[in-house]
Amino acid sequence: MTTTPTRKKRGTLRAEFGSPERRTAYYMILPALLIILIVAFYPIGYSIYLSFFKATIGNTGNFVGLQNYADMLTNSNFRTGLSNTIIFTVVSVFFEFVIGLAIALAINRAFRGRGLVRAAILVPWAFPTVISAVMWRLMFQDQIGIIQYVASALGVVSEPILADPTLLLLGAILVDVWKTTPFMALLLLAGLQTIPGDVYEAARVDGASVVQRFFRITLPLLKPAILVALLFRTLDAFRIYDLFWVMSSRELESLSTFVYKAVRVSQLNFSVGNAAAVFIFVTAFLIAMFFIKVLGMQTSTEE
Amino acid sequence: MTDRVEGVAKNEATAMVQRGINRRDFLKLAGAGLAGASLLGVAGCGGGGGQGGNGGPVEVTFATTPDPTGTFQKLIDQFNKENEGKIEVKYQQAPPDSSQFFDQLRTEFQAGSARINVFEGDVTWPAQFAAPGYVADLSDRFTQEERQKFLEGPVQSNIYEGAPFGVPWRTDAGFLYYRKDLLDEAGLEPPKTWDELKQTAQAVQQSAGTKFGYVFQGADYEGGVVNGLEYIWNAGGDVLDPSDPNKVVIDNPGAVDGLSIERSMVEDGIAPKAVSTFKEDESTAAFLNGDSVFLRNWPYVYAQAADPEASKVKQEQIGIAPLPSVSGEESASGLGGWNLMLNAASEDPVQDASYELIKFMTAPERQRTLAIEGSYLPILQELYDDQEVVDAVPVIALGKEAIQNTKPRPVSPYYSDMSLRMAEQFNASLDGETPPEQAVATLQEALTEIVKQGQA
Amino acid sequence: MAAASASRSSRGSGLNLALFYVFLIVFVLVSVAPLLWVFKMSIITKSELFASPPTILPRTPTAASYATIFGDPAFQKALINSTIIAGTTTIICLFFGSIAAYAIARLRFRFKSIVMTLILAISFFPPVAIIAPLFIQFRTFGIIDTYLAAIVPDVVFALPLTIWILVSFFKELPRDLEEAAKVDGATTIQAFRKVIVPLAAPGVFTTAILTFIFAWNEFLFANTFLFDADTQPVTVAIPNFATVYTVDYGAQAAAAVMVTMPLVILVLIFQRRIVSGLTAGAVKG
Repeated sequence: MTTTPTRKKRGTLRAEFGSPERRTAYYMILPALLIILIVAFYPIGYSIYLSFFKATIGNTGNFVGLQNYADMLTNSNFRTGLSNTIIFTVVSVFFEFVIGLAIALAINRAFRGRGLVRAAILVPWAFPTVISAVMWRLMFQDQIGIIQYVASALGVVSEPILADPTLLLLGAILVDVWKTTPFMALLLLAGLQTIPGDVYEAARVDGASVVQRFFRITLPLLKPAILVALLFRTLDAFRIYDLFWVMSSRELESLSTFVYKAVRVSQLNFSVGNAAAVFIFVTAFLIAMFFIKVLGMQTSTEE
Repeated sequence: MTDRVEGVAKNEATAMVQRGINRRDFLKLAGAGLAGASLLGVAGCGGGGGQGGNGGPVEVTFATTPDPTGTFQKLIDQFNKENEGKIEVKYQQAPPDSSQFFDQLRTEFQAGSARINVFEGDVTWPAQFAAPGYVADLSDRFTQEERQKFLEGPVQSNIYEGAPFGVPWRTDAGFLYYRKDLLDEAGLEPPKTWDELKQTAQAVQQSAGTKFGYVFQGADYEGGVVNGLEYIWNAGGDVLDPSDPNKVVIDNPGAVDGLSIERSMVEDGIAPKAVSTFKEDESTAAFLNGDSVFLRNWPYVYAQAADPEASKVKQEQIGIAPLPSVSGEESASGLGGWNLMLNAASEDPVQDASYELIKFMTAPERQRTLAIEGSYLPILQELYDDQEVVDAVPVIALGKEAIQNTKPRPVSPYYSDMSLRMAEQFNASLDGETPPEQAVATLQEALTEIVKQGQA
Repeated sequence: MAAASASRSSRGSGLNLALFYVFLIVFVLVSVAPLLWVFKMSIITKSELFASPPTILPRTPTAASYATIFGDPAFQKALINSTIIAGTTTIICLFFGSIAAYAIARLRFRFKSIVMTLILAISFFPPVAIIAPLFIQFRTFGIIDTYLAAIVPDVVFALPLTIWILVSFFKELPRDLEEAAKVDGATTIQAFRKVIVPLAAPGVFTTAILTFIFAWNEFLFANTFLFDADTQPVTVAIPNFATVYTVDYGAQAAAAVMVTMPLVILVLIFQRRIVSGLTAGAVKG
């Protein structure tokens, strides 16, 4: 206890790497970590570095401090993208979770036709996003789209869906819910099936009602699976790109489409787009921290 | 299961107790994984273009957007046969979406890639690729004299700061398609002004019960920019000062009039509301399905009408006219089409060989083949009077006036930035979200900023 | 086990059962309807495609769109490319992912939360933002236009998913067996290989399917790093059933059906195994 901090640190480091089990752990993690560091962290670091310069795509340019971030915040397209992304993320993840949980609960049992149901829940998710976007766009279309046709016939909409930004966003949410609810259900089902049946058995013997069993057993035991599923979906929705891009034929702005346009299409907005990319990264990081620290999602097994 | 593990463990690993993972084990595992990965990876390594070694033919990679007619491939085969042993052209199909193709090329060029040596590029690309030095200056090869044989508009699209950076090889122009049968029935002439177009459309809609009067491309994309520009030009407005390309003049009454006319098409019920989501395909579908009296589109539509599978409207029911204007005087059509350009990063023999290909593709015989077999509009003046070509591709004669009165979009190294803003504002104006005056004022500011940034 | 007990509880009234099946039917229909619609689009003529009002049942069935895509050698090549890219990505991800996940789920070490955070951070980053630097890196290594150019970023972006799911699988496995193996003298890696891998196989398999589908459907990287039709996967090839101004929706629809087919078949064949694998987490003895 009287050792200097440095010596203490060296001591713990030696203990850390001296222990065979711990050393094994590092060896096992190293390959995955290395790939990730080289292929993703170098570019990420580079992007963060560039975000402080008036960079063009081939050229670092002058140091401008936080100017790019200030330009980003005053950019009207960025703001539209931000609000669309937030609405899209909150609404679509909410519906995906509620419907996904209902489906997972419903099919977590033996019944005739399970195979069909399981195949059905996997089909939308298995569909390539680019293709489903093209396909739904066709169904939303003014002249040949079945959804537009039915919605107009029922008097639900009077505007062409694809011409109205609000309806477009709703459409994108609908497509995302259709496409990724199965994924949510799959993850939750996996969690449900790790809950041993005898827990329910015991609760039933104790006279707990269905609702009680759901809130007292299923939800708490399912919490880890729920948090993982929610975090993945939230982050995915937050980075939405190809669905907006293809389905709205680039009219619907999200944070990622803003970045794509600025970084790949524009020749002048590179630095602002790069700042926006860093913004997405940092925001997503904060979302994850919220899940881990505030909601208590487990990221390690230290019991 | 435990028994099996016990056995294995006892035989193999008594000595390793508590030592954790052993380095050799780890390397063995990792090695196996990497070997598998690299095997598959290597299988995918293709040849990367370039010179074919000692004495072999020079390899040239040629990229174009998809050609459903197969004419490009046929011409390339012919070229390879004629140059056997000397030049070998590899054909590479690019994405159909031209802005995606542009992004890909730019990403490659930034990395100094010489993988693609010669490519076709949209008429708005030469300035954008010339300014950063990605494409070769063709002043010595594509001489003044050579240029005389070509159509004026397409040649101009290749000139950046006085020098040519590409050679035209197929052109496009905006046409006004109309239902000749319905107009004849109603005893009406094709319109010269926008007002006439509206009246004619309304009259025919009433007499023949056609669903829409006029469809065009109003979506938030490049085609929407061309349409918006045509409205602006044909109302006397412009985007950049013709005498000083660094001066933005879009905030003028002509531009406001142009966008107001475009918007009025929807307000007056001539065009469907959904026209603000239409690209070429949607507008063509409406017209060929018999749902619209008028259509603004590129020349390719006429050929599609020959296919009864694709079209309810027959070719003989369709007429072609230049776009209307406000005054009824001569109007301008947006220039479309493609130029051939050389990657400046290609090495010497490849560059020469690439230009051989360009010369070959733009020669009169090939231009004739392209027109007759692929329905591509030629860029050589002489072919517009060639009876064989005109007979095979009637749209050339029908649209001659429009083809010869084309106007290029603003020439700027930062065109793609300008286009993004114009697409967005034109679309917002057409949707009724933004009044034309405001759209034009926003653009004046945004485009000035782009020009300023570009000069900095 | 869970399934068995649940089925006991579902032996309620006939009405409940009927409601349950109604729910199922609605759900299956909603899930599958768009696919059926695409299938319909793939077997009708162009003019029927653009007919207004739309036809519900195909009036003029034709195989023309399928003839188009199978007449195009590029499409077949793209199917093979997708298989290679997605397959390799899956193998690499499972290999590195499972050993890393095992360490995270089971072993104790100090920097675990930093490691997890680093891995997780990947799933935060917008892929669009690293395209430009990655391109330059790949160019230096000369892997543009090779399968690796798609596989490498696919692996990186699929790994967090793989690791996450595997960690949760591994955590569900009982510790006793490994402990027993270790007491019997097995090393950590042997315990992993001989005990955990067989037990976790069903879970690993599910993870494999998820990873495979992820890689199969990836678009942005393939579209940015693969310019050559010889290595392009289907997601890039399908939008190419178009010319500059016209899109062959029929061929796109046919291609979409063909591309989804392998995945549907995969699911149909292995669904039983996926689910029984998931429930096998609780092991007897």
